[in-house]
Amino acid sequence: MESYRQQKIQKLEEFVDGRLKPDLVQTIAQRDKVFEKQKVFSDLRKNIENLEKNSVTSLRTMVNLGSEVYMQAEVPDTRRIFVDVGLGFHVEFTWSEALSYISQREEKLEREIEDYTNRIASIKSHIKMVCEGIRELLQLPAEKPVPELNF
Amino acid sequence: MKGKGTVTPLSSVFSVEDTQKAAQRVHDTIAQKDLELERLLGFVADNTDLINLVGRLPDHLHHDIMVPFGKAAFFPGRLVHTNEFMVLLGEGYYAERTSKQTVDILNRRGKVLESQLDSLKAMVQDLKAEASFFNATASEAAEGLVEIMEDYEEESSSDRESALKQDSPKNSGTVITEHVDEDEEFARMMARMDELEKEEREAESQMSQSDENEEVQLGLHQLSDQKSLHGNLKTSGSQSRKSPQQTKDGIASNKDSFTDEPSCSGLETISADKLSHGNILARNVKSVAEKDFVSPVVENFQTVPSSRSQVPLESSKPKFEREKAFTGSIVEHADNLQIKSRERTTATSQSSASQVSKPVSRFKMQRK
Repeated sequence: MESYRQQKIQKLEEFVDGRLKPDLVQTIAQRDKVFEKQKVFSDLRKNIENLEKNSVTSLRTMVNLGSEVYMQAEVPDTRRIFVDVGLGFHVEFTWSEALSYISQREEKLEREIEDYTNRIASIKSHIKMVCEGIRELLQLPAEKPVPELNF
Repeated sequence: MKGKGTVTPLSSVFSVEDTQKAAQRVHDTIAQKDLELERLLGFVADNTDLINLVGRLPDHLHHDIMVPFGKAAFFPGRLVHTNEFMVLLGEGYYAERTSKQTVDILNRRGKVLESQLDSLKAMVQDLKAEASFFNATASEAAEGLVEIMEDYEEESSSDRESALKQDSPKNSGTVITEHVDEDEEFARMMARMDELEKEEREAESQMSQSDENEEVQLGLHQLSDQKSLHGNLKTSGSQSRKSPQQTKDGIASNKDSFTDEPSCSGLETISADKLSHGNILARNVKSVAEKDFVSPVVENFQTVPSSRSQVPLESSKPKFEREKAFTGSIVEHADNLQIKSRERTTATSQSSASQVSKPVSRFKMQRK
């Protein structure tokens, strides 16, 4: 019986280490990516709001040509923005359109993050359950001899 | 000959698992280095592209581009001041440079990258060599390869005798004269001689003094024997038959002088070289005796001792070992060997013993 228990314990441990924990790590990584995207869009929104506030029509920026070599660039008309809407498409927006699109996008990202958070929570609970099971299996054989001694 | 030796399975010296683990580790390191290599190659490619771009930009005053705004938006715009570049030098320092100067900077960066690449490639090469070694050891250990170490040991007289007797029947038929394939045999035997010499030199240091003295005393006889042996060697292997008289003529000539080689002129030089190694060759024969070397050279060497052994049997037992030290060939065996095929029978030795009476006299003459 002892060996059988040991085997079971081992199997459970392996399950935890081999599947649950990597799953947890992966899900967390994916959620972080979505966080980043969300941040990007929120930054963009702030910038557009800034432009709108200051009625900036033209911009002078430094464009990175690659390997940190910059070149001056001029944006004559800032009212037209091309925003990335996914799948390699960029849609031309005015400021207000852009802002509304960005807010919609941000909502979608929020939902995705929530979804990831739920999955992470379920994986964590799985891990906890298995650990408790292992502890039970380990404690039982330890407890039995003790009451016998008390005989 | 039973030598004291140790048989160590390779798997005990390098345990199979350890070698496999080591091989795995080296593989992992190689994989890491390969990734690094790819990264560096990517950098080099980027650098080259940038150099081209920087070279082309000053061609126009303005360039219409899409200016990125953050990571997810673009503005349509233009590149202005197409000859002014801001290059990051590191640590927050930038330099405003023209197109040409930027190209120079980028070229220098490229050189640095290349040197890094070369060093990394050298490392990968070393690791690969290491990995191959580990793999070979792992496979060998897994196969159960065994390392056998034997101490060089002097043959006991009985062992020698049995070994020689076994080999002498082998020689039957090989000591036959004909000049067919002479040169090939000659070259082959030369190669074999060299090998034996080397072995002897290695083993010589282990030889006891007494043996060497014995050898020295009988060196002259050995020389003569070798001459005749050389004659036989040269012609042996062809396995064709020649009249024993020719071989005996060889013996007669050998009797006369050490430098006469009527049937084997080419071997003179060899024998001259071998003179000094006569003693060595004797030992070579012993050590070779046990090897599964079917070259007639060895066998011929051993025919002499075997025949010699017949001689002392009749004369005196104490000389027995000395006789066996001789490596001279026994042309006399040609008669016997022609009759017998390569069979491991003691009959040959016995028949040779009967004929020993003739060669005995010759040997005795040579000895004197």
